Amino acid sequence: FAAVLMFPMSLLGILYCPRGMSLDPVQVKELNVSPSPNGDSRASWEEEEVEEEEEDRLGIATKTKPVSVTDLSSPKPENAVTVAVSSRVLFRTELEQRVFEQKGVEEYLRYQIEHENEPFAPGPAFPFVKALETVNARLRELYPQSEELFDIVLVTYNHAHVGIRLINTINHHNLFIERFCMTGGSSPIGYLKAWQTNLYLSADADKVREALAEGIAAATMFMTEKLTEVSESQLRVAFDGDAVLFSDESERIFKAHGLDKFFQHEQDNEDTLLDHGPLKGFLEALGKLQKKFYAKGQRLDCPIRTYLVTARSAASSGIRALKTLRAWGLEIDEALFLAGAPKGPMLEKIRPHIYFDDQMFHVEGAAEMGTVAAHVPYGVAQKHNQPQKPGARK
Amino acid sequence: MKDADRALVVAVTTRAVFDAAAGDVYGMGVAFPLLQSLQKVNERLLEKNPAESLLFDVVLIATDSQQQSSRIISSTSHYGLEVGRFCFSSREDLVETLVVNNVQLFLSTDRDEALQVSQKGVLSALLGRQEAPSESLRVMLCGDAIVRPDCDPVPASRGAAQSFSARLGEMRGRFGVSGSPLSIVLVTSSGGSKSCGVALQTLRSRGLSVDEAYCLAGAPRGPILSLLRPHFLLGDGVIDLED
Repeated sequence: FAAVLMFPMSLLGILYCPRGMSLDPVQVKELNVSPSPNGDSRASWEEEEVEEEEEDRLGIATKTKPVSVTDLSSPKPENAVTVAVSSRVLFRTELEQRVFEQKGVEEYLRYQIEHENEPFAPGPAFPFVKALETVNARLRELYPQSEELFDIVLVTYNHAHVGIRLINTINHHNLFIERFCMTGGSSPIGYLKAWQTNLYLSADADKVREALAEGIAAATMFMTEKLTEVSESQLRVAFDGDAVLFSDESERIFKAHGLDKFFQHEQDNEDTLLDHGPLKGFLEALGKLQKKFYAKGQRLDCPIRTYLVTARSAASSGIRALKTLRAWGLEIDEALFLAGAPKGPMLEKIRPHIYFDDQMFHVEGAAEMGTVAAHVPYGVAQKHNQPQKPGARK
Repeated sequence: MKDADRALVVAVTTRAVFDAAAGDVYGMGVAFPLLQSLQKVNERLLEKNPAESLLFDVVLIATDSQQQSSRIISSTSHYGLEVGRFCFSSREDLVETLVVNNVQLFLSTDRDEALQVSQKGVLSALLGRQEAPSESLRVMLCGDAIVRPDCDPVPASRGAAQSFSARLGEMRGRFGVSGSPLSIVLVTSSGGSKSCGVALQTLRSRGLSVDEAYCLAGAPRGPILSLLRPHFLLGDGVIDLED
């Protein structure tokens, strides 16, 4: 049984010397900030302005325009980390799905309207979204005027007849989702691009593939019956390596020529960077937000934590992965090299709010142990994807 | 001529429908796809009920002395456009012409013209640019004016807007959820999801069911509008669809 090696990246820092950050001394004047019930903070705009230590792409208008108490606006898409979720992953809609499949769209909409005042139950993406909001609350405390926040957008190809029920549900669960698109059946991909979406989560694998093809990080989510409890104060995001953060080039070698050839190839190419994969950009976006906490001395208490969970082994093929991350300037908090061991048990210990993997085998393995796993339908593994369970439905 | 009481009279300027002349016939202008869509809706309504009286009644208004009346009429016939009436008016008499003809919606490519008409109480909207013919008539409603009517920049035409949207809702109701030749799209620019919810409920209480809804919460409208490609936008006073 291969030993599992876990490296907190701070330790690896001694071995690999990740690129350090240089920070200018921080000039911050304290603002009078009052938190609202939803966890967002409002700044008193009559007070002195805060000087940020890093360049913040704030529009001029938000700095000088007086903001009333009721005017909590969403950040501009270009400043925010936009996470688009579909209604079927944010909430549980299996019952309604069945009505649609069995009785058609008119009956489905009639049913939705009839049950308009009954909020949906939370779906697989719900804990993740709540964790994003927790991070926002902490960011607003530290940087009251910054728009560098998570912006959660509901993107559904549901018909607007379902709109009132969805809005009622958002209010019921106290979610801060102010932007949405209900496309009434047409593809939401154009809207994802218009919102400058950094991550798209959907129950529909075709839409996810479409998004990936347009260069948008995306993954398919599934409802699981077992859900382990996750942290309410720290967002934890776990990534597979190959074909998720990195390209699938190495996986291709492995699939075509087997494990020995794979190891040889990785060793020969240890100093060549891996190409980037579909979720590299999202890890990057998380890293930028993490740095905002570090800048305020909150490294230990950072409400965002990232993990690499890879089948590579630390001693050999893992080196190339780490070197690549370092060269990209991306810090990952923990790197877990499983050397082929099952991922489920490890994920159950980490308890991420979401885990991204390109192989359904691992997604299902994670789900079996209560981890919310999202499938990234990218790369060579898709030709070999065989769901173990026949009913792996959305 | 359509049943005067039941028809939804829509007036379009000839300047918007026809472009520069190429020989005896004018070229197709910006409003062409719109007229084709209105026609399609009428065709489908009559398919369902040959005795249908709630139809679009298209009135072409010429205020441009540059365009010759005979050429306008022959071009209309050339393209097979269904026009109920032609009105040859002048710019000064435009509003009176509209009122006399019981026009419920005036469409133009000229911002000042549309604003002037709307300030006199006739519902007016700017035409959207359509790159390619679309499958259905896409009408966009601006939710902000619905939620906060006191902020309506053109209160004079608010009543006209409400009654038009009620009739439009009735027309939309003739068709099912999918495959309708008429789509109603709601967009709220400011305000969050609660606001949009209020707009949806208000419209529903007026008998207008919305097909698509977009809540922008302050995000720039341009990119979304270019995806939505409405034929025209109602309820925002007169806004520039190019914004």
